[in-house]
Amino acid sequence: MDAVVKRLIRAIKKEEDQDAFAELVDLYKDKVFQIAYRMTGNSYEAQDMAQESFLRAYANLESYDEKRKFSTWLFRITTNLCIDRLRKKKPDYSLDAELQGTEGLTGYSQVAASEKLPEEQVVTMEMQEWVQREISYLPPKHRSAIILRYIEGLPIKQISEILDLPANTVKTHIHRGREALRKRLKDA
Amino acid sequence: MACNKKYETQLHKYLDGEMIESERTEFYNHLDACEECAAHYKELKKAVMLVQSSSHIEAPEGFTESVMDRLPVKKKRKHWKKWMRQHPILIAASLFVFLMTSSLLSVWVDQSGEELTVIGSQDVKIDRENGMVIVPEGEIVEGDLFVKNGRVEVEGEITGDLTVINGEQYLASAGNVSGEIEEVDQALEWIWYHTKRITSDVFSFGEEKNNE
Repeated sequence: MDAVVKRLIRAIKKEEDQDAFAELVDLYKDKVFQIAYRMTGNSYEAQDMAQESFLRAYANLESYDEKRKFSTWLFRITTNLCIDRLRKKKPDYSLDAELQGTEGLTGYSQVAASEKLPEEQVVTMEMQEWVQREISYLPPKHRSAIILRYIEGLPIKQISEILDLPANTVKTHIHRGREALRKRLKDA
Repeated sequence: MACNKKYETQLHKYLDGEMIESERTEFYNHLDACEECAAHYKELKKAVMLVQSSSHIEAPEGFTESVMDRLPVKKKRKHWKKWMRQHPILIAASLFVFLMTSSLLSVWVDQSGEELTVIGSQDVKIDRENGMVIVPEGEIVEGDLFVKNGRVEVEGEITGDLTVINGEQYLASAGNVSGEIEEVDQALEWIWYHTKRITSDVFSFGEEKNNE
């Protein structure tokens, strides 16, 4: 895999070989899309972010250091793009917060009410969709660490390179994310 | 919840696979004995499993094509830019040559008027009507003679170099030039001549300094 990736990158750098780039996109599109989808929680935005990641990778390939892992460099572009996007559209309220003037009524009940889902549909709501929704409630930093660790299955060292954070900070983010998910998912 | 903070940290350490053998044994013993910690551990494990089991999704169909459609069109200019970035010294050198050439060319153009110019000695006959410079027989020109836009006939003697720009020279059998004779007709030769002169000037300047 690494040898193939190296050959493709050389071809793109030297000859601007766009076919080689298409091969590279094919190799990484699922992983990049997966990260983008888990980060944004919506497939339309995920496609946008994933495409943008590859376009930026193509435009900045000169700055990629061939001694390092290509996936680390690429995933870093993706997570940065997603975190930026999340920051821009960050809502100024949290669904967790109790709504003013109501007792025990949180944002979640509002969402459910406005969507007007029939009872049985709520009950049968796909497990995966539910898990994804719970992931989306994590703050972006905890979310990216959890996604890279448990969905992409990457080691802490690589995650710390992708997120440009010390390994101990990554561990703390994972611990916090894990605790938050435990509280939300324990009643499954 | 874990029974105390110490065990909560332990739980995460265990999940990160960072415990050494002895710690692990102690941890297992505690889980057997403490219901709170055992429950906490089970919940964490379940959360992790749920996240891990959320199925791996794939990029939508036509993803690669739409990325390729959005790639910038190949441009020749980009090649050129890339080349420039990779060879900064060549760029600097060619820029230098270009500036040198153009400045010398402009000097050439400035002075390539039709007027006859003689630099070096007064002991020559100058025939402006016919554009001739004659070093008469028996006359000795001390030092270099420089003639532009004219024909030179040497019947006497020149102790230095003779340089003829845009003209020609005729050395009579009785005439004698001790130094070098040089004819410069083309702009390129003119540039070459100047480059040589600058080099020798710099060189001799260095020599003089050494002699001091």
